[in-house]
Parts: sequence; C-alpha cells; structure tokens
Amino acid sequence: MVVKKIGDKVIRLVMGDITDLEVAAFVYDITADAKLGSGYGSAITTRGGKVVQEELDAIGSCPTGEAITTTAGKLKAGRIIHVNGPKFHEPGTEDKLRQTTVAALQLAEKNGITQLAFPPVGTGLYQVPLAVCARVMIDTVAEHLANNSSVEEVIFVALDTREFEPLAAVLQGGA
Amino acid sequence: MSTEVESYKIQKMVELLAPKLTRQVVGSLVGCVHCGMCHETCHYVMTHPDDPKMTPSYKADQLRKLFKRHYDWTGRVFPGWVGAKPPTRDVDLDELKDIAFGTCTNCRRCTFNCPMGVDTATLNRIMRGLLTQVGVMPEGVRVVSKDTWELGNQMGVLKEDYVETLEWLSEELVMELDDERATIPIDKVGANIVYTINPREVKYDPRTISEAALIFYAAAEDWTMPSWGWDQTNFGLFSGDDAMGAASYRHLQEKNAELGSQRLVISECGHGYRSTRCEGPNWSKTDQDFVMESSVMTMLRYIKEGRIVVDKTKNSDPVTFHDSCNNARSCGFYEEPRELLKLVCTDFQEMYPNRTENYCCTGGGGAMSMSEYTPRRLVSAKVKADQIAETGAKVVVTSCHNCVDGLGDLIRHYKLDCQVKQLVHLVANALVLEECAISKIPKEKPVPEPVPEPVQEPVVIPVEIPADRVKIADALSGRRILIVEDEEDTRIFLATLLQDAGAVTLEAVDGDEAIATARAEKPDLITLDLSMPGKDGVEAFIEIRNDPDIRDIPVCIVTGHPEFRKVIYDRPVRPPEGYMDKPVIEEDLVANLRRILETSRAEGS
Repeated sequence: MVVKKIGDKVIRLVMGDITDLEVAAFVYDITADAKLGSGYGSAITTRGGKVVQEELDAIGSCPTGEAITTTAGKLKAGRIIHVNGPKFHEPGTEDKLRQTTVAALQLAEKNGITQLAFPPVGTGLYQVPLAVCARVMIDTVAEHLANNSSVEEVIFVALDTREFEPLAAVLQGGA
Repeated sequence: MSTEVESYKIQKMVELLAPKLTRQVVGSLVGCVHCGMCHETCHYVMTHPDDPKMTPSYKADQLRKLFKRHYDWTGRVFPGWVGAKPPTRDVDLDELKDIAFGTCTNCRRCTFNCPMGVDTATLNRIMRGLLTQVGVMPEGVRVVSKDTWELGNQMGVLKEDYVETLEWLSEELVMELDDERATIPIDKVGANIVYTINPREVKYDPRTISEAALIFYAAAEDWTMPSWGWDQTNFGLFSGDDAMGAASYRHLQEKNAELGSQRLVISECGHGYRSTRCEGPNWSKTDQDFVMESSVMTMLRYIKEGRIVVDKTKNSDPVTFHDSCNNARSCGFYEEPRELLKLVCTDFQEMYPNRTENYCCTGGGGAMSMSEYTPRRLVSAKVKADQIAETGAKVVVTSCHNCVDGLGDLIRHYKLDCQVKQLVHLVANALVLEECAISKIPKEKPVPEPVPEPVQEPVVIPVEIPADRVKIADALSGRRILIVEDEEDTRIFLATLLQDAGAVTLEAVDGDEAIATARAEKPDLITLDLSMPGKDGVEAFIEIRNDPDIRDIPVCIVTGHPEFRKVIYDRPVRPPEGYMDKPVIEEDLVANLRRILETSRAEGS
C-alpha cells in the first residue's frame, strides 16, 4: 500500500477488485445510458444484486463529466457513485477526467460520505492513458482534499501492477 | 500528415496508426499487387464468389487507403492515382467495422498464399485495433473487452466463483478416485507446473478441467492452478488492442513468478497459445524467463516418459484432426497433436488440406462473440463442413476451444454426423491408471525404519479405480429440474436420464409454459431448449432473468442453435449458468447440472 497525507486527509493506493472492497463508497465509470454493462458492472450485479441497476434505471442517464449515486445492494460498500468519464480518446480528455473526479468528490460530500474509493477512471476499455489518468486524478483529489473537503480518505484501487505502478509513481513523486 | 478529414474519430485513427507502421507492416501495405492469389484461399470468398468485398485484398485496402492518404507521399501528391480515398465521416466507420470484424477471422490462410508476403490478417487486426480505440466495435467485443480489462478474464468469471468451481471439481475427483492426491491444488507455491485455462472451461465445460486434473494426477505431477492470472486466452489478439494483450499476458507472467514455477502450461486453446507463448512477451515488452508449453506437449511428454500409460483401443471411432489457425499457421504447431492423437486412438485419418493449409473453423478471430455476423459465418462454414464430411470421421479432434465452438456450430448447421472433442478428452479416456506413475507411489509415506536398510524394494500400492468413474448414482438426488423442450422424444430422453440420476422432473413444451411452471413450482434448475414454437428459448430466458421471483433459478441451455451465443456475449441479462450443445452426452449433462446446482448462487448472494 502507498499512502500520501494531505494535511489531516489521506490518499491511499491499494491493489484489488474495487467492487469487493469494504468502503463507504466507491466510484464506477458508467456509460451515458446508466447501464452497468460488463466488467465491474457485471461484478456489481452479481455480487450486489439487481437493485443497483433498478435505481440507475429510475435515474435514467449520466452525462459525461457528471456523477449520480445509488445504494450498493449486497456489496460490502455502502454506496456507489457512478461517473461518466471520458471515453475513447474523445476531445478534452484531461479536462473531462478532472471534471469527473470533482463531480464524484462533490457528490460524496453532498451525501455525507467521508471515505471514497476510485478506480483509475477510463484506463482500460476506454483508452485513457494510465500516466495521464494518474497525474490528473491524483492532482485533482489532492487539491480537493486540501480545500476544506468533508471527504477524509480517498483510496485508489488498482486492479493489477499495470495500474498500480503509475499511480504509485505519481503518489510517491508528489510526497 | 494530412488532416483533410471531417471525423474526429478518423483523425484519431490516423494518429494512432503512426506507431503501428513498422517495416513489416509498411511492407504489407505497399506490397500488394492485387494479383488475386489470396482470393482463392479465403473461405469467405469461396462461399460468396460474387461479392468482391469478401476478397482479402479489398479488406486490407481499407487500411491501405488511410496509410496512402496520410503517410505515403504518393497518396498525398496523387491521391486519385493510388486509390488513396479513405473514409472521412463517422458514418463510414460502421462499414469499416463490418469489414474488419464481420468478413475476416484473421486466419492467415491468405497470408500464407500471397506471393508478395502480404500479411493481410495483420493489417485487418490493425484496423480492428484502430476502431476499438475510438469506440467502434461489435457489442460482443465491447462486452468481452470490458470483462477482460476489469475482471481479468474474458467471460466475467468472479474470483470466488472460479475458486469455488475448482474446489468442487477437486472434491468430485477425490471422491471418484478415493484418493486425496487427486486434489486440484490452488496457488501452490513452488509447483513444477502452473496450469492455465480458457474461461469457457470453468464457465461451461468444466469436464476439461477434471480431465486435465486426472492426467496430472496419473502422471504424479506437482502442479497447481492460479487463483488469479489463470485466463490464458487473450481478447487483445482479436480486438487488435495491444495494450489489452499486454495486460492479460502480464497477469499470467506475474502470477507464475509469484508461485515460483518454471513452467506455465496452456490448456488446448489456439489463440491462447499464440497470445501467451508468442505475442505476449512482445506486447508487454517483458523478458520471458520461464517455459511456456501447450498441454498437448505436456501430455505427449508424459507418454514418452512413461509417466502415463494409455490404451488407444479405448478410442476406436474414426477420428480426424482440425488444425487451429493460430496453432498451425501462426505458431508452426501441428505435428505434435498428430503424434499424440495417433498414440491415443486407433483410426486416425487426415482431412485435406491440412496443417498450415487447413481451413478455418470459421469461429476464430473472436467471431463467436459477434452474434450479428452469425448468419454470414455459417454460410462461410460450408467449406469446412464439406472438408469434414469427406473424411467420414465420427470425431473431429481439435486443440482449440474456439474451434470446438465453431466446429460444433457448423456440425449442427450442416447436420454432419460427428462430434467435436479435444485431445484432453481422448487422453483421459485412454488412461490405464493402474500402470501410470501415480500407481507406483504409496498413498501414504512409509514410516522410516529406525535402522536404514541397505537395499529396499519400493512399496507399490496399486490405485483402486472405481468400475465406472464417470457415472455417479443419484448425482441429482431429490433435485427438482424443469425440462423445457418442445420435441417429445428429446424431452422423454432428458426426463429419463435425469430421473435415473435421482432428480424429480417437471416438463414444459414452450417458453410460456416454462415461465408459468417456473413461477408456480420454483424448481432448483431449468434446462432450456431454444428453438420452440411460440415464445422461443431466448425470449423465455430473458423474461426469466427479468422476473424477480424466478431470476435466481439457475438455467442450463441445451441447444443446437448458435444464435444463442448472443445472450452469452452481448449479455443483455446475466448469462446462463450452463450451456450445452445438442446432442448432449449423458454423463456430461449430469455432471454439468450437478456442477451448476453445487456452485451457482443467486444474484447478490
């Protein structure tokens, strides 16, 4: 685990399956139609039950850069914050990633969530370069935590060493 | 580089093409003289002779147009003269998708027959990669890619489900052999062999895992299966996404290193073997410091070393061998499976052409996951169907899971009188356990003598093999199973089979009756046919999955229709717990239903 302190707040980096994490809330990168789909979406449905998709269906959509929230069904997490991050090299990827990260943090604050787990948003199927993601997301989270955020702990969850290494490099480089 | 394109996505594709332009790729882009030699080799051309868009050169020309217009000076200066007319609008991308994914299985047969050495399959794979990077791909490719990226395997198997299935298979094998040494070890550090599989095995065909475990047991091998990094397939090969290919390979490489093994064995899978053994180290730009081999090599080695003994008369049906394109054409791996096959069956005959000239099963290149192209795929499969029919074989053996599905589809579609098997089936079936290495090792360590003896004969305790290892009496004892099947003969056959195994059976003849019976009776499991009058099986399955009262009842599809793969790959709802092709093998069906009942869980449990 890698840890970085921001005043009395903390950013951690761990490796594992974010949908299986015991945490107040975690972030899921969803599509605009608010469908969970495969990958982590499939894990949420299988482990957490259909309730998450039913709540998403009631909300209806999630525009790029925005965030919505649902319960987490029977998952170990308390809630899920769904964000629609940049996808497939779309224009303004860095700005949209920054906007998405802030949207998740603000929604967490609004819901009284003090502990939030992030995946490296968009770095798999959606082709956001890991180095870009690590720099933008960690910088954005650090800046947000330093500015009177009610979120006390942010956990970055890497699936594997491929994701872990660039996130660790940015966290350690900025320590 | 020119920027005269309207579409942002196409601009990105042009940018993303630049790092792909190695000397070999450029050689293939500029080397084509449109001589037509490749046309005669392609199963799509042979079955669509009047459609020029099926020719390999036409498919490769799509990438050539981009290259010539934006990177080659002739195309920049004289675009009209050299055919440099690439697509410029987003709407054009759908046609490119259809060509790259729907008219080519990247089998490389054209590559081998090109006098100029043009590697059309590589060009097509590059086009697929450019399209997927800008988000243009068949739905099945999107679903499978996301599973691969986020769950580490291409069928979305969760870690706990994978481990639980292995543990269940292990318990079954130990019970059948009455020997604790038959346990399937998970994450054993320092084992000689780490065995990796195709997710299809754990999800829909677990018998291949049991058979491999039986062979490792017979050979007294020190082996293990990893709890992570176990998927030796690699969808990056199909989608053209090198980064995904690298990520998938690293999972295997890193887990193998963590377990301290020197040998990674890859179960019978053509693209898995190619991706792991040949492409992975290049995609990931990492050193390879351990041995990687196909399980075909492992089984052959065991026989040659005398660690397992086989009796070929146990496999007496006429057998032919289908070469996986990735094994034969991309890895030069075609003699070893034949050598092994001749050791475990009595009546082997070649199909023609064979080895590097063999025809594709038509399920390669990820085709099984692209349901929108199934009708075209089955038309193109006529070439393979005729080739198999000419052999008169009752069994088509192949060392590839994709080929198993592709061949299974065409055998049913063209009503061929044969079935598909893998070498692991034949080797396991031919084992003479009493003479294998395991029988020469005492079950328990002998108690050391207080005074060492100068010479002592080894203690030999023969393994006791149950008379019928496969059939388990009352395997489904007391379980209530709803059989949904419109054909009376088949329904009676299934009911008798399951009742003999101890199940209480319920029956329905169409989709509506299936749903009504499921709601009223809440069975423990449903076997579901697909082609039925009225509401068909696909509709019924989706309705079952969307009904809160019955959606958690496990479903095993028993079908002869390839269209159902849409439900598995496009995944509009949670996929079925089991999938079996017709005609079913009795022991396989009982074993599969038992596995489903023992390991399935309700959504969210």
